[in-house]
Amino acid sequence: MTPRHPSAEPFFLPTDAGTRFCLYHAPRATVRGALVYLHPFADEMNKSRRMAAMQARALSAQGIAVLQIDLHGCGDSDGEFADARWDQWKRDVEHACRWLHQRAGVQPGLWGLRLGALLALEYARSAAVKPAQLLLWQPVMQGAAFLTQFLRLRVAGAMLDDSVPATGTRELRAALASGEVLEVAGYELAPQLAAAIDAADGTALPPCPVIWIEVVAAPDRPLPPAASRIAATWGQQVSLHGAAGPAFWSTQEIEDHPELVALTCSLMEQRHE
Amino acid sequence: MSEQRAFSFACGGQWLYGVASVPAEPHQRGVLIVVGGPQYRAGSHRQFTLLARSLAAQGIAAMRFDYRGMGDSEGTLRNFEAVDDDLRAAIDTFMVQVPQLREVVLWGLCDAASAVSLYAAGDERVTGLALLNPWVRTDSGAAQATLKHYYRARLFDKSLWKKLFSGRFNARAAVRSFTGLLGSARQAPAAGALPDRMHDRLGRFTGRVLVMLSGADLTAQEFDGLPRASPKWSALMAAPRITRKMLPRADHTCSRREWKDQVALWTAEWLRSW
Repeated sequence: MTPRHPSAEPFFLPTDAGTRFCLYHAPRATVRGALVYLHPFADEMNKSRRMAAMQARALSAQGIAVLQIDLHGCGDSDGEFADARWDQWKRDVEHACRWLHQRAGVQPGLWGLRLGALLALEYARSAAVKPAQLLLWQPVMQGAAFLTQFLRLRVAGAMLDDSVPATGTRELRAALASGEVLEVAGYELAPQLAAAIDAADGTALPPCPVIWIEVVAAPDRPLPPAASRIAATWGQQVSLHGAAGPAFWSTQEIEDHPELVALTCSLMEQRHE
Repeated sequence: MSEQRAFSFACGGQWLYGVASVPAEPHQRGVLIVVGGPQYRAGSHRQFTLLARSLAAQGIAAMRFDYRGMGDSEGTLRNFEAVDDDLRAAIDTFMVQVPQLREVVLWGLCDAASAVSLYAAGDERVTGLALLNPWVRTDSGAAQATLKHYYRARLFDKSLWKKLFSGRFNARAAVRSFTGLLGSARQAPAAGALPDRMHDRLGRFTGRVLVMLSGADLTAQEFDGLPRASPKWSALMAAPRITRKMLPRADHTCSRREWKDQVALWTAEWLRSW
């Protein structure tokens, strides 16, 4: 049985270094905006894939074109994860923005989850053509803290495996600094990518309007103080919100967070009124 | 040089998405990689993307896709026992995308290995099954596997006791879970449970089967325990059409490069051996 609605458009986008898997959700109403989606890091991308697709479909239904791109060495895109570099990822974002601008006819913004949001922030600040807006889901603001958390996966793995000597994140950072590629939770992390993530900082004022949504455990929970503090320094440029539901990028099983999808749609609707 | 193709296809009124890695001159036997567990078509740590590329580099076309409710595909989340229509639609699409194909091998990890085992006998295009750590979970089977491979191995292991007494594990909870396991292990699984149904379906399937098991994985240990616990499983696994391979140190998803490469190599060798 063929669906009555059109399919999203999967394709491989040529870049300056190989092709990237993309999924284009054309606007299913008069076009009112466009977003390039930047996925999170390593297995967080895997776990959040369904939520990204659900949100992209919901946005396209209200006239917002969405282009999902798999960055170099991730998902279905060319390259090995060990070859992935932060600067190449920024060039991938540029390729995606250019394609989407041409196709949808409007200047695109960026929508990022976790480390994808940090990439969006850093890209926006240095881009020749500023993104129209940023939509941040649970953004990582300090790359260094994020890298430490990622390295802890390897520390925990070593605790459960008696044949591997115990290490801490400090030793792992030293190994990276000496040029070693580390295998962490099945991902080969190159020292160059680790160093760039370590140095990435999302806290400076972005050059365009920002919608920032934090996922909180329950409706009455306050937003994380760090998020409120940073958002306060951004002033009028940002609107910060909480959405109560599961941390779907890191849960054991695949989880839906329909409230986040609905909130995102309504905030995007207000912005494009 | 192989080519990557991305496409959508329909199933039950919804759109599914897939990617095929197609060599210039594909072998007549292709591999459909089916995703199990909480993953989408790239696999945990991109295992399935890398497997598909490795097979294509050796002349074997490989396709991956998200069934309804997973990854990019539409629909509500579904259980691995409700994906027959998705598998059939994916095989149809694979054969259209790669017209040189005459037959298809289904490749699955964990509950996808179970899903393809239940499906295969009903589709004559399927001539082989590659199963990595198949899921045959029952309470008693899981308890037996845990007791045998975890507790027995570790009971006399100094580092476990050190961890227990240094407070890294809660000793009282550990003892409670141990006695709970003893109880579950003594119960017989209910008739019509997953291992029974898998045995029935694999018994009807006449093609080749490659079983790959990880040594450091309770799911694999539970499957590996079936022939010891049941004569009919013992007879099935002894059949010459079934090949069994062990990766002694590997975890459930084969998360290290050397394990991923080994699995890809075994798959390609086995595919060309018949």
